[in-house]
Amino acid sequence: MIRVAAVGDIHLGPDGAGTLRPAFETLPDCADLLLLAGDLTRHGTVEEAEVVAGEVAGLDVPVVAVLGNHDYQSDQEAAVAAALERAGVTVLEKDGVTLQVGGVRVGVAGTKGFGGGFAGRSGGEFGEPEMKEFIRYTRRCADGLRGALEMLAEAGCAVRIALTHYSPVPDTLAGEPLEIYPFLGSYLLAEAVDAAGADLAVHGHAHMGAEHGMTSEGVRVRNVAQPVLGRAFAVYHLPVHAAESDGQAADGDRASVAGRPAGVR
Amino acid sequence: MTAADTAEYRIAHLRDRLASEDIAELGVRIEQRGTGVALYGTVSSSACREEIMRLAEEELGGLPLHADLVVVRSDAPEHPEELT
Repeated sequence: MIRVAAVGDIHLGPDGAGTLRPAFETLPDCADLLLLAGDLTRHGTVEEAEVVAGEVAGLDVPVVAVLGNHDYQSDQEAAVAAALERAGVTVLEKDGVTLQVGGVRVGVAGTKGFGGGFAGRSGGEFGEPEMKEFIRYTRRCADGLRGALEMLAEAGCAVRIALTHYSPVPDTLAGEPLEIYPFLGSYLLAEAVDAAGADLAVHGHAHMGAEHGMTSEGVRVRNVAQPVLGRAFAVYHLPVHAAESDGQAADGDRASVAGRPAGVR
Repeated sequence: MTAADTAEYRIAHLRDRLASEDIAELGVRIEQRGTGVALYGTVSSSACREEIMRLAEEELGGLPLHADLVVVRSDAPEHPEELT
């Protein structure tokens, strides 16, 4: 069994330093890894990222993150990611990482993701260039997620987790206004998860949403936005299945698919 | 137009300010309720809640405000969820 702790939307700034650290220090007793599902800062500045880094630095569990839309607000997302990486956080965007947890190879595939809406009520690549690029950007995120999950399967991961900021399913948006669902997630992310397979999908972004959901193929989805959880993080116990193949990846390796052609889908 | 007629525009302006100013708060619901405006949701700190109310009073002055803004909890969880 793998113990996965997760939280998103912690929105830390200088005034939030130290608020989560006491709870995070309990992680080695209750979790094998910590996932951060984006919107870690308020405005996406390096100063704020260093506050986040201070909350997780030196924890005795690996920390894997994706960024969220707030982390892009100041156009410093690369510097924000670098500040987190300096504290030992693995920041994923259209790539994945393998971790060794008590003899079990665990893979996490991540992308921020983006919006567009859900099947039957979604935007399409049609009309103005801005509209087409909106959906194409989401599609690139979804393609990257799918490619990373597939690479983690090839690497022999017995447990695979999809980590996004935007939601792959509408279930976990229940409580949000229906009118803004297209800005909260996209079915393309769920399609990628179902195509490649995963044991769990974790996201944030929807503060007024619900914790529990599921994709069409039965992959459990959890909205771990801190306002939804009402606590510092959630912990999910995942059963371990036999690995699908004997991969050769060394643990901690990144499985980047950023350069893959879009035809992966 | 009366104050009630323009309330929806004033609420939209408040949402814009919450997103664009230092507070960067997009997680609060702001809705017309009767002759007043309800603000509800979970915010990151009591200082954040105070700033939201200050901005709301600036933008929505004259309209009754009904606030139910909860400060997020940062406790460790007591139980895991078993995903069998």
